[in-house]
Amino acid sequence: MIEASTAPGEVKLAVQEIGKTFHRRGGGSLTVLEDISFEVRAGEFFVIVGPSGCGKTTFLRIVQGLDAPSAGRIVLSGQPLHGPGADRGFVFQNDSLYPWRNVLRNVTFGAELQRKKRAANEKFARDIISLVGLNGFEGHYPHELSGGMRQRVNLARAFAVDPDILLMDEPFASLDALTREAMQQELVRIVAETAKTVLFITHQIDEAVMLADRIAVFGTRPGRLMRIIDVDLPRPRLLNVKRTPRFQELVDQVWTLIAQSHGLEAEGRDP
Amino acid sequence: MSPQRFPERVMDTVTPKRPQPASPAQRISTWHRLWHAVKRPRVRRSLISLIVVIAGWEIVGRYVLTNPLFFVPLSDVILALIRLWGTGELQTHIAASFRAIGYGMALSIVFGIAFGIVMGASRTVADYTEVYVNALYAMPLVAIAPLLILWLGIGVASKVGVVFLISVFPILISTTSGVRNVDKHYLDVARAFGATPVQIVGKVLVPAALPFVITGIRLAIGRAIVGVVVGELFGATAGLGFLIYTSGQTFDVPALFAGILCLAIAGVVLTWALQRVEMRLVRWRPAPLED
Repeated sequence: MIEASTAPGEVKLAVQEIGKTFHRRGGGSLTVLEDISFEVRAGEFFVIVGPSGCGKTTFLRIVQGLDAPSAGRIVLSGQPLHGPGADRGFVFQNDSLYPWRNVLRNVTFGAELQRKKRAANEKFARDIISLVGLNGFEGHYPHELSGGMRQRVNLARAFAVDPDILLMDEPFASLDALTREAMQQELVRIVAETAKTVLFITHQIDEAVMLADRIAVFGTRPGRLMRIIDVDLPRPRLLNVKRTPRFQELVDQVWTLIAQSHGLEAEGRDP
Repeated sequence: MSPQRFPERVMDTVTPKRPQPASPAQRISTWHRLWHAVKRPRVRRSLISLIVVIAGWEIVGRYVLTNPLFFVPLSDVILALIRLWGTGELQTHIAASFRAIGYGMALSIVFGIAFGIVMGASRTVADYTEVYVNALYAMPLVAIAPLLILWLGIGVASKVGVVFLISVFPILISTTSGVRNVDKHYLDVARAFGATPVQIVGKVLVPAALPFVITGIRLAIGRAIVGVVVGELFGATAGLGFLIYTSGQTFDVPALFAGILCLAIAGVVLTWALQRVEMRLVRWRPAPLED
């Protein structure tokens, strides 16, 4: 597996034996992630799906550099990662827009931190804003936008640093069902247009199957990688793909794995 | 029509609605604008209350409390103001007081914000200093003013010192709590995009704490006015506090009230000015609804 990282352009992100253990004050520890290894290929839409408590958010925070792993390492574009950086664009679950910045200035935030030329930033940001369908809203403040529009800004902010990989932490979890489906379609379109690599986490199985090229199914306690499933549904996937038998099969496959994880957990408890 | 009510659709082709800037031809005259301001309920209520107070003061001073050593009608106060203005005294006093308020507040704002950010961001600094901040905040200023006058002499320096000491703590304390209350997600975003500590302070902590800072400054204005008067009562050669004190000593009640009136107007004007500044700086907040 590790040899694959020597082939440049092929493997974008290599996750190598990542573990995370929290030590409690006064002894005792909690292992949240155990021995996670996989690789994401360039241009791939890679989805991690798992029940709550499987450590997937912690995992993504480690990839972003917001948390440090207890074991293992992560290699992005051939470089081992240390700490946060603009080579990754993070899309937060909660949109976390700065209320004192208008849409344009929220989108340019990441690039602004890199001290890039302001004019170039703005030009690029305006392109991204129109890409996410918010043309004309550059001057609006977050409180003037709907939840779906704010998530579009959240997406645009991550794309605007032109990252090697996009990390998305359940970005549509707080949206209503209709908006969520619309945003899924939008995301697929934007990713296709920008040819970006995406690492996306969700607890919604149908969302995972809808979006992914490959799905990594995580189990709980401790969070671990159970299996990687290839999603062989043809693209573009429109909403009616959900009614195809293959879609249902894949959903069932993921669902069974997750149920198994809970079953194992019950067995483990029984001495 | 607020923009958040626009329908969210798959490919939303919504067109943004921005208020169009008025063309020169549409601009209305100042008088017209004033008239429109008066028609707004909030402005109207303030005006009505002002008229009632002015009339009440005049009536009480003229027919109820007729002892001129005790109370005087507003018209006498205004005559005293005109007299003091004519001799140039009033301008001297106002200038002296405002200079002290200005310097003292400027020091308070700079120091209060800077140290407030440090205390809010660093638990260590807060642990070492919080107890003194609280002790000085609760300290009755009258207790320190004589000491400051001993140290800094009778003049602008001691007044600035008193104003600074009394007005810095509201700013310091509210800045600290503003920084502590910054949404954790805001910090995560900045760190995720690789912000340096300096950038986190400048681009996240300061703007996020700004509404708190302004609240602190508003409290500080009131205290600064108290501070300057206290400073001038204890030892000064000019200033509104000095005017009030000497007028009391010479039983010049209209001049005494003139000094008080000037202080009251100063409080209103400064608070109003701050509100204007706030409206500019915190434009990103949803506008409060007006009935």
